[in-house]
Amino acid sequence: MSDEHSALDPAVQYLVTEAKRPVTVDAAARERLLEVVRAEPRPRRDVPVVAWLVSPKRFALPPLATIAAAAGLVGIGVVGGYLINRDGRAPTERPQGAVVASQLPDSSPSRAIKFVLVAPQASRVSVVGDFNGWDAAATPAMRQPDGSWTTFVTLEPGRHVYSFVIDGAHFVADPEAPIAPDDGYGHRNSVVVVRGASS
Amino acid sequence: MSDAADVQRVLDGDVDAFARLVDRYYERCARFAVRMLGNRDDAEDALQATFVRAYRSLGKYQERDKFSAWLYRILVNQCRSIASRRSQRERVFIREEAVLLNAPDRSTSWTGEDEELVQRVLAELDPLLREAFLLKHVEDMSYEEMSALTGVGVSALKMRVKRACDRLKTRWEYIKDE
Repeated sequence: MSDEHSALDPAVQYLVTEAKRPVTVDAAARERLLEVVRAEPRPRRDVPVVAWLVSPKRFALPPLATIAAAAGLVGIGVVGGYLINRDGRAPTERPQGAVVASQLPDSSPSRAIKFVLVAPQASRVSVVGDFNGWDAAATPAMRQPDGSWTTFVTLEPGRHVYSFVIDGAHFVADPEAPIAPDDGYGHRNSVVVVRGASS
Repeated sequence: MSDAADVQRVLDGDVDAFARLVDRYYERCARFAVRMLGNRDDAEDALQATFVRAYRSLGKYQERDKFSAWLYRILVNQCRSIASRRSQRERVFIREEAVLLNAPDRSTSWTGEDEELVQRVLAELDPLLREAFLLKHVEDMSYEEMSALTGVGVSALKMRVKRACDRLKTRWEYIKDE
């Protein structure tokens, strides 16, 4: 109890006493909350990604990823010469929406999305997201001669949240892709929007 | 089981451990949210957003920090966000709502009428003054804890609490005489 309570005016003290009374808690609201939590991906212990990123590693760039030169990491593209799906915002900006529709060509409803991570020093790289249950073992990437890691995932039209996992522990969002808005308090994941053929 | 142990169990995949954390803090958070936001619907929204965000960010929680303080930081931000989004909505505190908000224990000298008035005078405070007043005198936090939680300096918080008390006193006496 703080010292200030002893000096409170009686009227204010009465207000404090009343305000301290518990409020009824709707049991259904608590259950709804726990249902939402159970539907969430399992939280994971944060890893010092920043420290990993600033350690002396040399990253190469794929031809399409010149915009990512400063970060030295990560690109996401669409197979078949489709446009790179990124908006160039810094990762600290709050996302406002998905990728501009006009950037994406017509195609069949599902698309094979190529994920590229340039990380020559990595031993293992995989892609996790809502499309594979955030399972780091589900979608491993293949190391390429230029030091990049690539993998393909067929995605349905819609918004998908993803991240890269390096060496099974370091979660790295795509700095050139939109950031998922719900992770403003902690984990930073990236967003890719796959448009349908009629979009 | 301690908060830190439950957090670790959640990170190990035990979602039920998070339910224990919810049970431990739900009522206290509910009280703050209701007093801060003035109605149960907004408070429930704030509670859900708070605990879901806490769950998502649990990997960020550092054991050197008190879990309750970490959780309250999220709660305060969620209440601010909801209050800001809904600031244009007219707030009407009807008697039935005020009664519903309160525990069913009528054995003390509580009267629903006074409870309604208390909620009214709190709602009439500037949100920043109300927030400081509730954290200080209802949640019994120290100014240092409040400063760490809100990012506001101790002297500014003391000023807010003093202003809140002055206004509450004046307003309460006016309303009681109506």
